[in-house]
Amino acid sequence: MSPRRDLFPSPFSEETRAMLLQSARLNSAGYDAWGLNLESLERATSVASVLYRRYFRVEASGVDEVPQGRVLLVANHGGQLPIDGALIALAMLLEPEQPRVVRGMVERWFPTLPFVGTFFIRCGQVVGDPDNCRELLNQEQAIMVFPEGVGGIGKTMRKHYQLQEFGTGFVRLALETGAPIVPVAVIGSEEIYPGIHNLRTLARLLGTPYVPITPFFPLLGPLGMLPLPVRIQIRFGQSMLFEGDPDQPDEEVQHKVEQVKSSIQHMLDEGIEARPRLRMIDRLAGVRR
Amino acid sequence: MSALITGAAGALSRMVARELTGEHEIIGLDLRPMVRETTVFSSYYRLKRYNHRSTDEVFRRHKPRALIHLGVRGAAASSQRQRYTQNVLGTRHLLMLAARYDVERVVVLSTFHVYGAHEHNPVNIREDAPLRASQDFPELADAVELDHTATQFLWRFRDMSTVLLRPAHIVGPSLRNRITRLLKSQYCPRLLGFDAMQQFLHEEDAARAIALALRGRSVGVYNVAGEGALPYSRAIRLAGGRPVVIPRLLLYPLFRQLSRFRVVFPHHLLDYFRYATIIDDQAFRQDFGFESRYSLVETLASLQLPAKH
Repeated sequence: MSPRRDLFPSPFSEETRAMLLQSARLNSAGYDAWGLNLESLERATSVASVLYRRYFRVEASGVDEVPQGRVLLVANHGGQLPIDGALIALAMLLEPEQPRVVRGMVERWFPTLPFVGTFFIRCGQVVGDPDNCRELLNQEQAIMVFPEGVGGIGKTMRKHYQLQEFGTGFVRLALETGAPIVPVAVIGSEEIYPGIHNLRTLARLLGTPYVPITPFFPLLGPLGMLPLPVRIQIRFGQSMLFEGDPDQPDEEVQHKVEQVKSSIQHMLDEGIEARPRLRMIDRLAGVRR
Repeated sequence: MSALITGAAGALSRMVARELTGEHEIIGLDLRPMVRETTVFSSYYRLKRYNHRSTDEVFRRHKPRALIHLGVRGAAASSQRQRYTQNVLGTRHLLMLAARYDVERVVVLSTFHVYGAHEHNPVNIREDAPLRASQDFPELADAVELDHTATQFLWRFRDMSTVLLRPAHIVGPSLRNRITRLLKSQYCPRLLGFDAMQQFLHEEDAARAIALALRGRSVGVYNVAGEGALPYSRAIRLAGGRPVVIPRLLLYPLFRQLSRFRVVFPHHLLDYFRYATIIDDQAFRQDFGFESRYSLVETLASLQLPAKH
């Protein structure tokens, strides 16, 4: 056994591995068309599961209620880096009886990033294109979307846990493919990197969507990039199945979007209420109570 | 019935001709001399250019019923001007002649490169997707224009049923195209931090696909691919090579300089190893009943075998 294997044992049992292999449609070389590879996913999960359990001490509820087959997981977004997405994906791999690979819809500029882009692709993440989403849903996969997009992940402390504007594309895709929507609330993720201010001009110059200032970054340099060890709750809500014409006008779709949004907001509020006593670090991070 | 096949000195054309023996009397055309002894062609003509009056004479003499146009010049061996003459003007001339001499069935070989390598590419690009290549890579303008020319003829001359194929990388032990030569080399450069998914089609599968396209009745533009996709680095390993990782800032200028001397892969195709261009071939499989016989692993492993055809 290699030292790495001792330190990070595989989180998957033989049974899990077989189950994942069955649901993923891999070719003779071990990849699907989008670039998912189960060995890469397993390696990443073995390291990330330690962070999931020990560092962020994630508590996930309602995972077993997520319907089998095609499904859209819709969650709140925050925390500057897509750690919330990784934690939801890990919850779906580590917690339920029937683990599933979650296909996150990532920003379109992701493939331009060296290493990170490739790593995300190997772990099953997909460029957020409606064509990709439609095709994966038709292949009975679990898709994760953040309808707040960049407006959500880059939000500053003042807007923590207030859902930003949702896109409507995900509801149209759900209507078109008959996929149920599962609202997901992630509590804690928005404080991992508490943004104080967004340097818009610098962001524009660098060509990134946002450049955050946190209490520790850029003040402490690279040290300030360490994520805060916030305790995270992930709540998977009741699945919602919408029916209707996918080409109906925006205001009718908007109504359905609002239903999903309010369901997430409700779970967020509940989760914040239910949080244990705040610790110093949480207060520093500006957690509302 | 006789069929005209261009690019006849190449291994792929010979394989297609072999697939069709018995069904057609096959006339080979190429700009290159025929180096191999072969009996698959009933006659063989070495032309100066495809858009030359000698081509007209071949049509007049043989009155072919079918045309398979595989004689497309790759970027590795020629200048942009030569490529334009052969790929655009040549193709146009051949199709004009085909229309004039009542050819019934035409198959033209384009490439998946026409879709362009772009970070926004969805996976499983369908045939109606925009052809981005000429936008991002002016060097590929001839490939895109060849494609457009063929589709133009497809709509203009309805009596001449035309199929335009856009295949993924065609590789195999007998081929000498640029991707095969690249993968056959012992050390294969790859980009640091990027490892785009690639699709491969075995040479024999490609030949069968072209033969199926000729025999079929459907008309239109079709993607053709093999079993699936895999990262470039994995493809190198399966083909028996060793990837050499080079940073992007070094590799692009290096290839630009070297491709002047035509010793390596053309630099403008490097982006295809950076961003995936994965095509959807369902339509071709459905309309022509095509199934690839070689798996992805077998296809790449075959590059270590000696040439068969």
